[in-house]
Amino acid sequence: MKIRRKYLFYTLAFASAIIAAAVSAIDAKIINDVIINDPLAFAVSCFIVGIIISLVIVLIFSIPIKKGKSLGSKVIDPSFRRIRLVRKEEIKYHVVAGLGNALLTVGYFFLLSDLKDPSVVLPFSQIVILYLLTIESITEKNMPTLSEIQSSVIVTFGAILGSISLTGSLSLTSMSFVFLLICPAWVLFSIYQRKLKLLKIDGRPNDSLNIRFWNVVFACVFAVMIVMIYDVVMNSAHFIAGLTASLEHFGWVALTMGVTFFSYVFYIRALGIGKASITQAVRASTVLFAIPFSLMLSYFNIIPPFTTDPIMILLKMMGTILVLLGIVSFALALVKAYIFIKVKPGYPIDETMDNLWKIRGVTRVAAVAGPYDFIVKIRTRTLVKGYERIIRKIEGIEAIKEYKWESVLKEWEDI
Amino acid sequence: MINAYILITMEPGDTEKAISDMRKIENVEKISIVAGEYDIIVRVKIKSLDKLLKVTNKIQMAKGVKKTTTQVIEKELTL
Repeated sequence: MKIRRKYLFYTLAFASAIIAAAVSAIDAKIINDVIINDPLAFAVSCFIVGIIISLVIVLIFSIPIKKGKSLGSKVIDPSFRRIRLVRKEEIKYHVVAGLGNALLTVGYFFLLSDLKDPSVVLPFSQIVILYLLTIESITEKNMPTLSEIQSSVIVTFGAILGSISLTGSLSLTSMSFVFLLICPAWVLFSIYQRKLKLLKIDGRPNDSLNIRFWNVVFACVFAVMIVMIYDVVMNSAHFIAGLTASLEHFGWVALTMGVTFFSYVFYIRALGIGKASITQAVRASTVLFAIPFSLMLSYFNIIPPFTTDPIMILLKMMGTILVLLGIVSFALALVKAYIFIKVKPGYPIDETMDNLWKIRGVTRVAAVAGPYDFIVKIRTRTLVKGYERIIRKIEGIEAIKEYKWESVLKEWEDI
Repeated sequence: MINAYILITMEPGDTEKAISDMRKIENVEKISIVAGEYDIIVRVKIKSLDKLLKVTNKIQMAKGVKKTTTQVIEKELTL
């Protein structure tokens, strides 16, 4: 099916956000309703039960249906064939993403047990977008443009405002947890899962179902190690408590991990399409989706009742509107174009290709046979930047005889 | 696998119908409507040059297509 790529991207990111909001409500119920009130034990039990439940889900999606395709490839991810072992080239990425997930989960449960209300915890964690933008500007040759930074700052401030609890409190301990543990861990988790999604396995794009399953396995190893070390140092018994919780509350933990599985599968698919920061910015809409869940939890007395102070409600609303505004401006400001290039004879093709590839905003360089010598695809936030960053640089390459710019007006892609 | 760009010039007025025909063609990876010398750019991924001919033929059969220029990709760098 050929659909507009950005529609698929937003559908996946929004689906992930809605499911993430539902997950945090289930987690709040488990932690606050004293089913498992020890964050470390909860993290251990989540990963142990998570392996079992993720395995069951991936096995179900591996069931072959017509034309040799599996159920998972039909309904979840077209790149999926069946469950498989981790490939050698994937291991290093899985190690880092697994460590990120383990740290992130432990931090998230600490935060949830401290703040209690998911509509406060979720917006707080969106600050990671700023971290991702910084990392991307260093690691990818895709520097964020002014409008990307603008939108991210809007989203981040919106998220901070949104994270003011409706009960009126803002915790400093929680803030340091977010800045020092959750955000750096999330960066590892998301950037390395993106790298995994962009890998080619047997000549096909990597699939999100296997990535998620193996991420849970690797994260489990790290979470168990972290909790065991903590137990030895502090002379506590969180690991045993986690094992006990896995058995005693298997149903609750399986529910949260089963639902989480789908949230991350959609997230990983979205990561394969957009940059990690932008995927995260769209997923920040989870802030909105968490509100009805929080109201429900409050109604059932699982979390404290909300304040009726209009200033608090106004601040929360402003935060939510800012997050939405940031996401919309991300979505609208993108210019794509093809540049067709003819080169002068006597210049090595590889050298010209490398010079073109070095230009910021260039996403694809194809050396072609036909009337042109190169077709270059570019992506920029504004036409002005397209001129300043790309055309000027192309004109500076001596080997180029002539070029034609063709702006993309609309695009469909087979996904 | 062979990847190629097919650059299409259209008769005025028939682009919408031609796009919907092209979206049904197998092996077509991406269709872009562009502003410039060409009107549509199609990216295809095929197993052989023979198949490329078939895809190009189907594109040329779409109503309103005036001229196609095929550029076969020899080497590619991508993000």
